[in-house]
Amino acid sequence: MKYLCNGVEDVIKITENLEPMDMIIFNGELLLMRDAAQKRLLQISSSGEQLPIDLKNTIVFYAGPSRTPPEFVIGSIGPTTSARMDRYLEFLYSNGVVATVGKGPRSQNAVELTKKYKKIYFITLSGAAALLSNLVTDYRMLAFPELGPEAIAKILVIDFPLIVATSPIGKNLFE
Amino acid sequence: MKEINPLKITEMLKEELVKANIEINPEVLKVLKYYSSNESIKLLLKNAEIAANKNLPLCQDTGIVEFFVELGSEVVISENIESVLNRVVSEVYEQNYFRYSLVSDPLFERKNTFSNTPCVVNIEHVPGKELKIAFLIKGGGSENLTTLKMFEPSVSQEDIIEFVVEHISNHGAKACPPLQIGIGIGGTAEKALTLSKKALLRSFNERNENILYKDLEIQLLEELNKLKIGFQGLGIGPSVLSVNIEYFPTHIATLPVALSVNCYLCRKGVIKL
Repeated sequence: MKYLCNGVEDVIKITENLEPMDMIIFNGELLLMRDAAQKRLLQISSSGEQLPIDLKNTIVFYAGPSRTPPEFVIGSIGPTTSARMDRYLEFLYSNGVVATVGKGPRSQNAVELTKKYKKIYFITLSGAAALLSNLVTDYRMLAFPELGPEAIAKILVIDFPLIVATSPIGKNLFE
Repeated sequence: MKEINPLKITEMLKEELVKANIEINPEVLKVLKYYSSNESIKLLLKNAEIAANKNLPLCQDTGIVEFFVELGSEVVISENIESVLNRVVSEVYEQNYFRYSLVSDPLFERKNTFSNTPCVVNIEHVPGKELKIAFLIKGGGSENLTTLKMFEPSVSQEDIIEFVVEHISNHGAKACPPLQIGIGIGGTAEKALTLSKKALLRSFNERNENILYKDLEIQLLEELNKLKIGFQGLGIGPSVLSVNIEYFPTHIATLPVALSVNCYLCRKGVIKL
């Protein structure tokens, strides 16, 4: 199946119908975050302090773009390996993240967590970062700029392809 | 003696480093074109086109740069080659808006160096008047698949095939397949690893000169392509673009086997002076 979703609310509405290999053409916001930023967020949260960003109802895209040339919205951008982020997945889900986007298969534990929290894991085109950068219309730094490409940022995308890899009932594309 | 001006090295290498990050490897382009009736592959071709037209890197991960220098014994360079290479990388990455993907201390601070240096430099001293500098642009996702196994010397080639196939079966989809597989056999542990990287410098059709290793390359290619990992890990097209082996004599008690991979983009280059 192919769906068109405008904003995360549309994704939430159809979540329970999604099957592996279904494609969503997404218009809306994605939160960029990867290893270092998630590690920091988890540390902040564990020490009982307030997180610098709100994770509720966000879609997290595991990505660190290349630098932005003048006159461009963003440099090349694409998914990094999701399996490295499995250790932070429950933290994201329990803070209200709706879905994650990355590349490649995840651990059995990550699949179980996706089922437990009824969330979605999407993959998107990997190794096509110049193409994906064309679908980004806005790019804003949110936290940890000192991490360079690993900073937390928000991007606005149009016609961005998201392919279901793990469905909310734990069906897995990579099995 | 032959004196080589560091400025000449800088000039030639800069061009190659930019090209490797922005222009699709012609060998890879051939494979993409072969499968171009598929929608996903069409998008990868489109990516190559956009990258070249807009001078954007093909992949956001513009990698850690690994150099393999063959320094002729009659070559004189007025500057330390490692300094030249680090300067070239930092200038190329700054000027072309490539991603700064390196952190200084790997375990504790992990602070970005904001220059994409230091690069990794392997230097081999060879006879002659030539300076050859080859490089790999090594993304983190593919580098994480590198592995080494110290086999017992009496194992058969089937054991080695099983090791390679199992590893790629378990992890191949994480590293942007189809992959180029580099295998280093023999030497010591670190020699085998370096050989596996050097094997990735070979072109897809450049088979090992030794017929036994050549046959092993072909056999491995066949076995690995039975895995049906394909582009994007979605089963389209081949799982592996090429298997290349480099070997070296080893100790009577050892048989090191190292495995490295290039992601489907196979970003590399070489200059000779």
